[in-house]
Amino acid sequence: MIGTIVQNLFRFILLVFVQVFILNQITLPGSINAYINPNIYILFILMLPIKINRLFLLLICFVCGFTIDIFSSTAGMHASACLFIGLARPGFINLIMPRDGYENTVEMTLQGLGFRTFIIYTGFLVLLHHLALFLIEAFNFLNFFDLLLRVIISALSTLILIILSQLLTLRNR
Amino acid sequence: MRNFFLLIRRYNFLLAFLLLQGVSFFLIARNDGYQRAAIIGTSNQITGQAYEAYSNVTDYLTLGITNKSLAEENAKLRQGDSSAVYELGFELTHVNDSNAMQQYDYISARVINNSVKNVNNYLTLDKGSLQGIMPEMAVISSNGVVGIVKDVSEHYSTVISILHRSTKISSKIAKNNYFGSTIWDGKSPEYAHLYDIPSHALVGVGDSIVTSTYSGIFPRNILVGTVSEIGNSGQSFKDIEVKLSTNFRTISYVYIVRDLLKAERDTLETQTIEELKQ
Repeated sequence: MIGTIVQNLFRFILLVFVQVFILNQITLPGSINAYINPNIYILFILMLPIKINRLFLLLICFVCGFTIDIFSSTAGMHASACLFIGLARPGFINLIMPRDGYENTVEMTLQGLGFRTFIIYTGFLVLLHHLALFLIEAFNFLNFFDLLLRVIISALSTLILIILSQLLTLRNR
Repeated sequence: MRNFFLLIRRYNFLLAFLLLQGVSFFLIARNDGYQRAAIIGTSNQITGQAYEAYSNVTDYLTLGITNKSLAEENAKLRQGDSSAVYELGFELTHVNDSNAMQQYDYISARVINNSVKNVNNYLTLDKGSLQGIMPEMAVISSNGVVGIVKDVSEHYSTVISILHRSTKISSKIAKNNYFGSTIWDGKSPEYAHLYDIPSHALVGVGDSIVTSTYSGIFPRNILVGTVSEIGNSGQSFKDIEVKLSTNFRTISYVYIVRDLLKAERDTLETQTIEELKQ
Protein backbone atom coordinates (compact mmCIF):
# COMPACT_ATOMS: atom_id res chain seq x y z
CA MET A 1 0.00 0.00 0.00
CA ILE A 2 2.73 2.44 1.07
CA GLY A 3 4.78 1.18 -1.87
CA THR A 4 1.98 2.07 -4.30
CA ILE A 5 1.67 5.58 -2.87
CA VAL A 6 5.41 6.23 -3.03
CA GLN A 7 5.59 4.82 -6.54
CA ASN A 8 2.73 7.03 -7.77
CA LEU A 9 4.08 10.11 -6.03
CA PHE A 10 7.46 9.56 -7.65
CA ARG A 11 5.79 9.08 -11.04
CA PHE A 12 3.80 12.28 -10.54
CA ILE A 13 6.89 14.36 -9.76
CA LEU A 14 8.85 12.88 -12.65
CA LEU A 15 6.07 13.43 -15.20
CA VAL A 16 5.36 17.00 -14.07
CA PHE A 17 9.08 17.72 -14.33
CA VAL A 18 9.29 16.25 -17.84
CA GLN A 19 6.16 18.14 -18.90
CA VAL A 20 7.12 21.54 -17.49
CA PHE A 21 10.86 21.65 -18.04
CA ILE A 22 11.29 19.57 -21.18
CA LEU A 23 8.14 19.25 -23.31
CA ASN A 24 6.81 22.76 -22.62
CA GLN A 25 10.20 24.26 -23.49
CA ILE A 26 10.58 22.64 -26.91
CA THR A 27 9.68 24.87 -29.84
CA LEU A 28 9.33 23.64 -33.40
CA PRO A 29 9.79 25.72 -36.57
CA GLY A 30 6.93 27.68 -38.16
CA SER A 31 3.30 27.04 -37.40
CA ILE A 32 3.80 23.29 -36.80
CA ASN A 33 4.79 24.51 -33.36
CA ALA A 34 1.19 25.21 -32.39
CA TYR A 35 -0.04 21.81 -33.58
CA ILE A 36 2.30 19.41 -31.81
CA ASN A 37 1.66 20.02 -28.16
CA PRO A 38 2.06 16.77 -26.21
CA ASN A 39 0.82 16.45 -22.62
CA ILE A 40 2.51 13.37 -21.29
CA TYR A 41 1.78 14.22 -17.63
CA ILE A 42 -1.70 12.65 -17.87
CA LEU A 43 0.03 9.27 -17.98
CA PHE A 44 0.14 9.69 -14.20
CA ILE A 45 -3.69 9.63 -14.03
CA LEU A 46 -3.92 6.79 -16.53
CA MET A 47 -1.53 4.64 -14.50
CA LEU A 48 -3.27 5.07 -11.14
CA PRO A 49 -4.39 1.75 -9.60
CA ILE A 50 -7.42 0.18 -11.30
CA LYS A 51 -9.66 0.04 -8.22
CA ILE A 52 -9.01 3.53 -6.89
CA ASN A 53 -11.93 5.23 -5.12
CA ARG A 54 -13.79 7.34 -7.68
CA LEU A 55 -14.05 10.47 -5.55
CA PHE A 56 -10.39 10.21 -4.63
CA LEU A 57 -9.59 9.84 -8.34
CA LEU A 58 -11.42 13.10 -9.14
CA LEU A 59 -9.49 14.91 -6.44
CA ILE A 60 -6.16 13.56 -7.71
CA CYS A 61 -7.07 14.60 -11.27
CA PHE A 62 -7.85 18.11 -10.09
CA VAL A 63 -4.60 18.43 -8.14
CA CYS A 64 -2.57 16.98 -11.02
CA GLY A 65 -4.05 19.37 -13.60
CA PHE A 66 -3.81 22.29 -11.21
CA THR A 67 -0.09 21.66 -10.68
CA ILE A 68 0.49 21.99 -14.43
CA ASP A 69 -1.73 25.10 -14.43
CA ILE A 70 0.41 26.77 -11.80
CA PHE A 71 3.52 26.22 -13.90
CA SER A 72 2.00 27.40 -17.16
CA SER A 73 -0.18 30.33 -16.00
CA THR A 74 -3.29 28.63 -17.34
CA ALA A 75 -5.25 28.72 -14.04
CA GLY A 76 -7.76 25.89 -14.21
CA MET A 77 -7.63 24.77 -17.86
CA HIS A 78 -5.58 21.63 -17.25
CA ALA A 79 -7.45 20.98 -13.99
CA SER A 80 -10.74 21.08 -15.88
CA ALA A 81 -9.47 18.85 -18.71
CA CYS A 82 -8.08 16.33 -16.21
CA LEU A 83 -11.41 16.19 -14.39
CA PHE A 84 -12.96 14.88 -17.61
CA ILE A 85 -10.49 11.98 -17.50
CA GLY A 86 -11.46 11.40 -13.87
CA LEU A 87 -15.12 11.34 -14.84
CA ALA A 88 -14.71 8.97 -17.78
CA ARG A 89 -12.01 6.61 -16.50
CA PRO A 90 -13.99 4.29 -14.16
CA GLY A 91 -16.83 3.76 -16.63
CA PHE A 92 -14.50 3.34 -19.57
CA ILE A 93 -12.43 0.72 -17.75
CA ASN A 94 -15.62 -1.28 -17.12
CA LEU A 95 -16.55 -0.94 -20.77
CA ILE A 96 -13.29 -2.23 -22.25
CA MET A 97 -12.63 -4.83 -19.59
CA PRO A 98 -12.64 -8.46 -20.76
CA ARG A 99 -15.72 -10.42 -19.64
CA ASP A 100 -13.92 -12.25 -16.85
CA GLY A 101 -12.43 -8.95 -15.66
CA TYR A 102 -9.01 -7.99 -14.43
CA GLU A 103 -7.59 -8.80 -11.06
CA ASN A 104 -7.46 -5.88 -8.67
CA THR A 105 -3.70 -6.00 -8.79
CA VAL A 106 -3.35 -5.56 -12.54
CA GLU A 107 -0.96 -2.75 -13.45
CA MET A 108 -2.31 -0.08 -15.78
CA THR A 109 0.64 -0.45 -18.14
CA LEU A 110 1.21 -1.66 -21.67
CA GLN A 111 2.48 -4.91 -20.20
CA GLY A 112 -0.34 -5.31 -17.68
CA LEU A 113 -3.27 -4.59 -19.99
CA GLY A 114 -1.89 -5.91 -23.24
CA PHE A 115 -1.18 -3.83 -26.32
CA ARG A 116 -4.70 -3.63 -27.79
CA THR A 117 -6.53 -2.75 -24.58
CA PHE A 118 -3.83 -0.31 -23.54
CA ILE A 119 -4.01 1.59 -26.85
CA ILE A 120 -7.82 1.78 -26.70
CA TYR A 121 -7.75 2.83 -23.03
CA THR A 122 -5.00 5.45 -23.44
CA GLY A 123 -6.12 6.65 -26.86
CA PHE A 124 -9.66 7.43 -25.78
CA LEU A 125 -8.75 9.21 -22.55
CA VAL A 126 -5.91 11.18 -24.16
CA LEU A 127 -8.22 12.31 -26.95
CA LEU A 128 -10.89 13.30 -24.42
CA HIS A 129 -8.36 15.29 -22.39
CA HIS A 130 -6.94 17.12 -25.40
CA LEU A 131 -10.39 17.86 -26.80
CA ALA A 132 -11.47 19.40 -23.48
CA LEU A 133 -8.19 21.29 -23.06
CA PHE A 134 -8.11 22.80 -26.54
CA LEU A 135 -11.82 23.67 -26.47
CA ILE A 136 -11.42 25.51 -23.18
CA GLU A 137 -8.23 27.22 -24.32
CA ALA A 138 -9.25 28.31 -27.79
CA PHE A 139 -13.04 28.22 -27.94
CA ASN A 140 -14.31 30.74 -30.54
CA PHE A 141 -10.73 31.86 -31.20
CA LEU A 142 -9.72 29.29 -33.79
CA ASN A 143 -12.01 27.86 -36.44
CA PHE A 144 -13.38 24.42 -35.71
CA PHE A 145 -11.35 22.54 -38.31
CA ASP A 146 -8.10 24.09 -37.13
CA LEU A 147 -8.97 23.24 -33.54
CA LEU A 148 -9.80 19.64 -34.41
CA LEU A 149 -6.53 19.25 -36.31
CA ARG A 150 -4.61 20.49 -33.28
CA VAL A 151 -6.47 18.12 -30.97
CA ILE A 152 -5.77 15.11 -33.18
CA ILE A 153 -2.10 15.86 -33.88
CA SER A 154 -1.33 16.74 -30.25
CA ALA A 155 -3.21 13.71 -28.94
CA LEU A 156 -1.28 11.49 -31.35
CA SER A 157 2.04 12.97 -30.20
CA THR A 158 1.05 12.38 -26.57
CA LEU A 159 0.03 8.80 -27.37
CA ILE A 160 3.35 8.11 -29.12
CA LEU A 161 5.31 9.50 -26.17
CA ILE A 162 3.25 7.40 -23.75
CA ILE A 163 3.88 4.21 -25.74
CA LEU A 164 7.60 5.02 -25.98
CA SER A 165 7.79 5.59 -22.23
CA GLN A 166 6.00 2.27 -21.69
CA LEU A 167 8.47 0.46 -23.94
CA LEU A 168 11.36 2.06 -22.06
CA THR A 169 10.10 0.78 -18.72
CA LEU A 170 9.29 -2.78 -19.79
CA ARG A 171 10.11 -5.23 -17.06
CA ASN A 172 11.22 -8.82 -17.44
CA ARG A 173 9.02 -11.29 -15.71
CA MET B 1 -34.63 16.16 3.80
CA ARG B 2 -33.86 12.49 3.93
CA ASN B 3 -34.48 12.17 0.21
CA PHE B 4 -32.17 15.08 -0.37
CA PHE B 5 -29.31 13.31 1.42
CA LEU B 6 -30.07 10.11 -0.46
CA LEU B 7 -29.86 12.05 -3.70
CA ILE B 8 -26.48 13.47 -2.76
CA ARG B 9 -25.21 10.05 -1.78
CA ARG B 10 -26.41 8.53 -4.98
CA TYR B 11 -24.88 11.12 -7.27
CA ASN B 12 -21.87 12.07 -5.14
CA PHE B 13 -19.44 11.23 -7.94
CA LEU B 14 -21.20 13.48 -10.44
CA LEU B 15 -21.69 16.23 -7.87
CA ALA B 16 -18.00 16.15 -6.90
CA PHE B 17 -17.13 16.38 -10.60
CA LEU B 18 -19.39 19.39 -11.10
CA LEU B 19 -18.09 21.09 -7.96
CA LEU B 20 -14.43 20.73 -8.94
CA GLN B 21 -15.26 21.71 -12.53
CA GLY B 22 -16.94 24.82 -11.12
CA VAL B 23 -13.78 25.70 -9.21
CA SER B 24 -11.71 25.23 -12.39
CA PHE B 25 -13.94 27.48 -14.46
CA PHE B 26 -13.98 30.11 -11.74
CA LEU B 27 -10.17 30.14 -11.86
CA ILE B 28 -10.16 30.30 -15.67
CA ALA B 29 -12.58 33.23 -15.67
CA ARG B 30 -10.49 35.04 -13.07
CA ASN B 31 -7.38 34.59 -15.21
CA ASP B 32 -8.85 36.10 -18.38
CA GLY B 33 -7.03 39.11 -19.82
CA TYR B 34 -4.34 41.28 -18.29
CA GLN B 35 -6.65 43.54 -16.30
CA ARG B 36 -7.52 40.85 -13.80
CA ALA B 37 -5.01 39.36 -11.45
CA ALA B 38 -4.85 35.59 -11.36
CA ILE B 39 -5.36 33.97 -7.97
CA ILE B 40 -2.33 31.83 -8.54
CA GLY B 41 0.14 31.82 -11.37
CA THR B 42 3.78 31.51 -12.31
CA SER B 43 4.58 34.84 -10.72
CA ASN B 44 4.39 33.19 -7.32
CA GLN B 45 7.57 32.57 -5.39
CA ILE B 46 7.84 28.78 -5.60
CA THR B 47 7.33 28.35 -9.33
CA GLY B 48 9.34 31.52 -9.92
CA GLN B 49 12.31 30.01 -8.12
CA ALA B 50 11.95 26.72 -9.99
CA TYR B 51 11.96 28.52 -13.34
CA GLU B 52 14.87 30.70 -12.29
CA ALA B 53 16.97 27.65 -11.40
CA TYR B 54 16.02 26.09 -14.73
CA SER B 55 16.89 29.17 -16.76
CA ASN B 56 20.22 29.57 -14.95
CA VAL B 57 21.16 26.35 -16.69
CA THR B 58 19.52 26.85 -20.09
CA ASP B 59 20.57 30.49 -20.54
CA TYR B 60 23.94 29.23 -21.69
CA LEU B 61 22.31 27.62 -24.71
CA THR B 62 21.15 30.95 -26.15
CA LEU B 63 24.19 32.96 -25.08
CA GLY B 64 25.32 33.54 -28.67
CA ILE B 65 22.00 34.96 -29.84
CA THR B 66 21.61 37.05 -26.68
CA ASN B 67 25.09 38.53 -27.08
CA LYS B 68 24.43 39.40 -30.70
CA SER B 69 21.18 41.22 -30.02
CA LEU B 70 22.69 43.10 -27.06
CA ALA B 71 25.70 44.10 -29.17
CA GLU B 72 23.39 45.36 -31.92
CA GLU B 73 21.46 47.39 -29.41
CA ASN B 74 24.67 48.81 -27.95
CA ALA B 75 25.72 49.91 -31.42
CA LYS B 76 22.37 51.60 -31.92
CA LEU B 77 22.61 53.41 -28.58
CA ARG B 78 26.17 54.46 -29.33
CA GLN B 79 24.92 56.09 -32.52
CA GLY B 80 22.56 58.25 -30.52
CA ASP B 81 25.19 59.18 -27.94
CA SER B 82 26.46 62.77 -27.93
CA SER B 83 30.00 61.65 -28.76
CA ALA B 84 28.78 60.23 -32.07
CA VAL B 85 27.19 63.49 -33.17
CA TYR B 86 29.05 66.18 -35.10
CA GLU B 87 27.98 69.42 -33.49
CA LEU B 88 26.72 71.97 -36.03
CA GLY B 89 26.43 75.08 -33.87
CA PHE B 90 26.40 76.19 -30.25
CA GLU B 91 22.83 77.44 -30.04
CA LEU B 92 21.29 74.38 -31.66
CA THR B 93 22.89 71.73 -29.45
CA HIS B 94 22.04 73.43 -26.20
CA VAL B 95 19.45 71.31 -24.46
CA ASN B 96 17.37 72.87 -21.78
CA ASP B 97 16.59 70.19 -19.19
CA SER B 98 13.68 72.02 -17.65
CA ASN B 99 12.03 71.80 -21.04
CA ALA B 100 11.73 68.04 -20.96
CA MET B 101 10.82 65.61 -18.23
CA GLN B 102 11.29 61.91 -17.95
CA GLN B 103 8.12 60.01 -18.88
CA TYR B 104 9.35 56.43 -19.14
CA ASP B 105 11.66 54.36 -16.97
CA TYR B 106 13.12 51.20 -18.48
CA ILE B 107 13.82 48.34 -16.11
CA SER B 108 15.78 45.46 -17.58
CA ALA B 109 14.67 41.93 -16.71
CA ARG B 110 15.62 38.38 -17.55
CA VAL B 111 13.09 36.00 -19.07
CA ILE B 112 13.08 32.92 -16.84
CA ASN B 113 10.15 31.13 -18.46
CA ASN B 114 8.57 31.50 -21.85
CA SER B 115 6.11 29.65 -24.05
CA VAL B 116 5.16 29.93 -27.71
CA LYS B 117 3.27 26.65 -28.01
CA ASN B 118 -0.14 27.53 -26.66
CA VAL B 119 -2.99 29.74 -27.80
CA ASN B 120 -2.36 31.82 -24.68
CA ASN B 121 1.32 32.37 -24.05
CA TYR B 122 3.02 33.88 -21.03
CA LEU B 123 6.53 34.89 -20.01
CA THR B 124 7.91 34.95 -16.47
CA LEU B 125 10.43 37.67 -15.59
CA ASP B 126 12.86 37.85 -12.68
CA LYS B 127 11.77 41.32 -11.53
CA GLY B 128 8.79 42.02 -9.29
CA SER B 129 7.09 44.50 -7.00
CA LEU B 130 10.36 45.13 -5.12
CA GLN B 131 11.70 46.69 -8.33
CA GLY B 132 8.51 48.71 -8.80
CA ILE B 133 6.86 46.48 -11.38
CA MET B 134 3.08 46.79 -11.53
CA PRO B 135 0.37 45.07 -13.61
CA GLU B 136 -0.41 46.57 -17.03
CA MET B 137 3.11 47.86 -17.61
CA ALA B 138 4.45 47.48 -21.15
CA VAL B 139 7.24 45.00 -21.87
CA ILE B 140 9.55 45.46 -24.86
CA SER B 141 12.74 43.83 -26.09
CA SER B 142 15.64 45.42 -27.93
CA ASN B 143 13.84 44.46 -31.16
CA GLY B 144 10.29 45.56 -30.36
CA VAL B 145 7.07 44.90 -28.51
CA VAL B 146 6.81 41.82 -26.24
CA GLY B 147 3.67 42.11 -24.11
CA ILE B 148 1.95 43.44 -21.01
CA VAL B 149 2.64 42.63 -17.34
CA LYS B 150 -0.16 40.60 -15.77
CA ASP B 151 0.69 39.42 -12.26
CA VAL B 152 3.40 40.56 -9.93
CA SER B 153 4.89 38.98 -6.82
CA GLU B 154 7.82 40.27 -4.78
CA HIS B 155 10.58 38.98 -7.04
CA TYR B 156 8.79 37.81 -10.18
CA SER B 157 6.22 38.94 -12.69
CA THR B 158 4.26 37.27 -15.48
CA VAL B 159 3.72 38.83 -18.87
CA ILE B 160 0.96 38.20 -21.41
CA SER B 161 2.85 38.18 -24.69
CA ILE B 162 1.45 39.33 -28.04
CA LEU B 163 0.99 35.60 -28.61
CA HIS B 164 -2.16 35.51 -26.48
CA ARG B 165 -5.79 35.57 -27.55
CA SER B 166 -6.71 38.53 -25.37
CA THR B 167 -3.79 40.78 -26.37
CA LYS B 168 -4.57 43.67 -28.69
CA ILE B 169 -1.69 46.02 -29.39
CA SER B 170 -2.89 49.39 -30.52
CA SER B 171 -0.58 50.10 -33.46
CA LYS B 172 -0.18 52.24 -36.57
CA ILE B 173 1.58 52.29 -39.92
CA ALA B 174 4.72 54.31 -39.24
CA LYS B 175 4.77 56.29 -42.50
CA ASN B 176 1.18 57.55 -42.58
CA ASN B 177 -0.22 57.05 -39.06
CA TYR B 178 -3.26 54.94 -40.03
CA PHE B 179 -4.02 53.06 -36.86
CA GLY B 180 -5.48 49.64 -36.01
CA SER B 181 -4.89 46.73 -33.63
CA THR B 182 -2.33 43.98 -33.92
CA ILE B 183 -3.76 40.60 -32.91
CA TRP B 184 -2.18 37.15 -33.02
CA ASP B 185 -4.05 34.42 -34.91
CA GLY B 186 -2.82 31.56 -32.72
CA LYS B 187 -0.62 29.97 -35.38
CA SER B 188 3.00 30.81 -36.10
CA PRO B 189 4.81 32.77 -33.35
CA GLU B 190 6.53 34.80 -36.10
CA TYR B 191 3.41 36.46 -37.52
CA ALA B 192 0.43 38.50 -36.31
CA HIS B 193 -2.33 40.44 -38.09
CA LEU B 194 -3.05 44.14 -38.18
CA TYR B 195 -6.78 44.84 -38.39
CA ASP B 196 -8.97 47.92 -38.85
CA ILE B 197 -6.77 49.61 -41.44
CA PRO B 198 -9.14 51.18 -44.03
CA SER B 199 -8.74 49.79 -47.54
CA HIS B 200 -7.81 53.19 -49.01
CA ALA B 201 -4.73 53.46 -46.77
CA LEU B 202 -1.50 53.17 -48.71
CA VAL B 203 0.65 50.38 -47.36
CA GLY B 204 3.33 48.20 -48.91
CA VAL B 205 5.21 45.05 -47.98
CA GLY B 206 8.12 45.90 -45.71
CA ASP B 207 6.50 48.96 -44.09
CA SER B 208 7.10 49.33 -40.37
CA ILE B 209 4.25 48.89 -37.92
CA VAL B 210 4.80 50.71 -34.62
CA THR B 211 2.83 51.19 -31.41
CA SER B 212 0.44 54.09 -31.01
CA THR B 213 -0.29 55.61 -27.64
CA TYR B 214 -4.05 55.17 -27.84
CA SER B 215 -4.15 52.24 -25.46
CA GLY B 216 -2.03 54.12 -22.93
CA ILE B 217 0.18 51.10 -22.30
CA PHE B 218 3.07 51.27 -24.76
CA PRO B 219 5.24 54.32 -25.44
CA ARG B 220 4.80 55.58 -28.99
CA ASN B 221 6.83 54.35 -31.97
CA ILE B 222 8.03 51.06 -30.51
CA LEU B 223 8.45 48.63 -33.42
CA VAL B 224 5.81 45.88 -33.60
CA GLY B 225 6.96 44.39 -36.89
CA THR B 226 7.02 44.82 -40.63
CA VAL B 227 4.27 44.19 -43.17
CA SER B 228 4.75 40.83 -44.87
CA GLU B 229 1.49 40.32 -46.75
CA ILE B 230 -1.57 42.39 -47.60
CA GLY B 231 -5.03 41.01 -48.16
CA ASN B 232 -8.59 42.23 -48.03
CA SER B 233 -10.98 41.37 -45.24
CA GLY B 234 -14.47 42.40 -46.24
CA GLN B 235 -14.94 45.58 -48.25
CA SER B 236 -13.70 48.46 -46.19
CA PHE B 237 -10.76 47.10 -44.26
CA LYS B 238 -7.39 45.61 -45.10
CA ASP B 239 -6.08 42.43 -43.51
CA ILE B 240 -2.36 42.97 -43.06
CA GLU B 241 0.00 40.20 -42.01
CA VAL B 242 2.82 41.49 -39.83
CA LYS B 243 6.14 39.77 -39.29
CA LEU B 244 6.82 40.39 -35.60
CA SER B 245 10.16 42.03 -34.91
CA THR B 246 10.63 40.23 -31.60
CA ASN B 247 11.76 36.63 -31.89
CA PHE B 248 9.76 34.94 -29.16
CA ARG B 249 11.60 31.67 -29.56
CA THR B 250 14.94 33.08 -28.43
CA ILE B 251 13.94 36.03 -26.25
CA SER B 252 16.00 36.18 -23.05
CA TYR B 253 16.28 39.81 -21.93
CA VAL B 254 13.51 42.43 -21.97
CA TYR B 255 12.74 45.91 -20.66
CA ILE B 256 9.72 46.70 -18.51
CA VAL B 257 8.45 50.20 -19.21
CA ARG B 258 7.23 52.27 -16.28
CA ASP B 259 5.09 55.20 -17.45
CA LEU B 260 5.48 57.92 -14.84
CA LEU B 261 2.45 59.82 -16.18
CA LYS B 262 0.12 56.82 -16.43
CA ALA B 263 -1.78 57.52 -13.21
CA GLU B 264 -2.47 61.08 -14.30
CA ARG B 265 -3.72 60.01 -17.72
CA ASP B 266 -5.90 57.21 -16.34
CA THR B 267 -7.54 59.46 -13.75
CA LEU B 268 -8.32 62.07 -16.36
CA GLU B 269 -9.73 59.56 -18.83
CA THR B 270 -11.96 57.80 -16.28
CA GLN B 271 -13.14 61.19 -15.04
CA THR B 272 -14.24 62.13 -18.55
CA ILE B 273 -16.06 58.84 -19.00
CA GLU B 274 -17.77 59.18 -15.62
CA GLU B 275 -18.92 62.70 -16.47
CA LEU B 276 -20.38 61.55 -19.76
CA LYS B 277 -22.35 58.81 -18.01
CA GLN B 278 -24.17 61.28 -15.77
